[in-house]
Amino acid sequence: MRDDICNIVENIQIQGEYYLLKIHSEYISTRAIPGNFIMISTSSAMEPLLKRPFGIFESDPPYIWIYYQVVGKGTRLVSELKPGDNISVLGPLGNSFPPVTNQSILMIAGGRGIAPIHFAIKKYQKENKISLIYGAKSKHDLNLLDLLKPLTLQVLLLYSDDGSIGKRGNVTTDLRKTIQKSGISITFSCGPDNMFKSIYQVTRELKTRDYASMEALMGCGFGICYSCVIQTRKSGYQKVCTDGPIFDMDEIAW
Amino acid sequence: MVDLAVDLGFICLKNPVIPASGTFGYGEEFIPFFNLDQLGALVLKGIYKNKRMGNPPPRIQETSAGLLNSIGLPGPGMKELKKIIQRVYQSTSTPIIINVCGETDQEYLDVAEYFDGMEEVAILELNISCPNVKSGGRCPAQDDKHTYRLVKKIKQSVSTPIMVKLSPNVTDISAIAISAEEAGADCISLTNTFLGMALNLESRKPVFPNIVAGLSGPAIKPLALRLVWEVANNVHIPIIGMGGITTGQDVLEFMLAGATAVQIGTINLVEPAASIRIIKEIKETMEQLEIANLKELTGKLHT
Repeated sequence: MRDDICNIVENIQIQGEYYLLKIHSEYISTRAIPGNFIMISTSSAMEPLLKRPFGIFESDPPYIWIYYQVVGKGTRLVSELKPGDNISVLGPLGNSFPPVTNQSILMIAGGRGIAPIHFAIKKYQKENKISLIYGAKSKHDLNLLDLLKPLTLQVLLLYSDDGSIGKRGNVTTDLRKTIQKSGISITFSCGPDNMFKSIYQVTRELKTRDYASMEALMGCGFGICYSCVIQTRKSGYQKVCTDGPIFDMDEIAW
Repeated sequence: MVDLAVDLGFICLKNPVIPASGTFGYGEEFIPFFNLDQLGALVLKGIYKNKRMGNPPPRIQETSAGLLNSIGLPGPGMKELKKIIQRVYQSTSTPIIINVCGETDQEYLDVAEYFDGMEEVAILELNISCPNVKSGGRCPAQDDKHTYRLVKKIKQSVSTPIMVKLSPNVTDISAIAISAEEAGADCISLTNTFLGMALNLESRKPVFPNIVAGLSGPAIKPLALRLVWEVANNVHIPIIGMGGITTGQDVLEFMLAGATAVQIGTINLVEPAASIRIIKEIKETMEQLEIANLKELTGKLHT
């Protein structure tokens, strides 16, 4: 973990408020593992004050890629970064998805949750069979499909709430069937909180191990401020930044 | 060569920069970023007698150049903290300050006595001013008599020097500071966070379950500076100033207003090595302004 000034290489608008950001960081790119995130200063002034967390989409030394959606002031400032700009980047942060080999892993991504899932597929595809369920509100929010093409996927299922791309529905529409048919033993997911809850209802019943990359309102990213807590069943509040962001869904107090 | 050392009377610090409680964890989280021995001293996260979970989320909200927090002092309890200190600080020369918390006067006393005489512990900072524990933000530091009673009681029971951390949420902070001094406080730190609020228009509810929260960060610097100046005019014990400090120049301003040393808070969350940058900036600014000795600066404001 290091707090460095890093150079912006590219900041590509994918569609609407969705962007891919390429950052030069030898240090982070050679150490990052799937599930890790970084904190980015969005301004060199004190406004906004806090850094913003972003899951790592891909690590390709000496570069890392961030896939992000403009949702507020901080991310809007990130979208205005130009190649050559220097920003303060803290990372790599957080834990990672559990190490597994020779398993059938089902990856589940909701919207911008594809970021850590993409990184995970790249790392886990060599030693595991990977299937992917990718859903979003509409075609507008379901991006980077061309970057999924080179990946080795057993099954790729796309869903949109409005049916504008893939099947009408969401990531849980055919979840039970997919887990059973593809002999899935473990799921890795990233998306909104209500998605985790719906997935867990299925995985708990089927006794499928279920790990999710969770989000929370984060202050520092390295365990100091105790802001980003979630309630767990046995260990009380846990910090998403240092105890997570990857959690075993059995441990969450739903 | 400029001299950054400062003297609190009962202890000399190699420089005036002290990371503040609640923004520096238990110190060990910062070891990846710099050698803790570079700091003047450091304050650990506030500690109660027993383990505490803290407040339900949301716990923070960003404001213009500031941060509202309602963390609620989660912690492992004093026994676990002692183990952390013994593990982390065996070879650290920097003075360690314990931020002592309590729900009752007796709990403050129990925690203070527990750490009293511990070799690694240089100062006990009495956190009588956290706004996030009781509803409405009440705390002992809002009452001069309560402050006097509590500080006196602890001072009589421990031999470790006492730093009393004041609340800005009072009408007359000098009256509280004088009470702390009369009760035997060895020094005073100020200020804790300013009470504030954040609201959600759609739900018509407060953002924080505790309704009020504490404001920190660059936004409060002018307010804190004024309070330090006012207290400095009314007490004779050293003052450790804090509130929105982010640069070496800020530190020198607080010292000019009457602080002998400073605490660095919210910026630690944004920039882990902020304290080290600030120490460097103090040196640079002293050279520019031809201040040879930092001790000469305290309270030398021309008004």
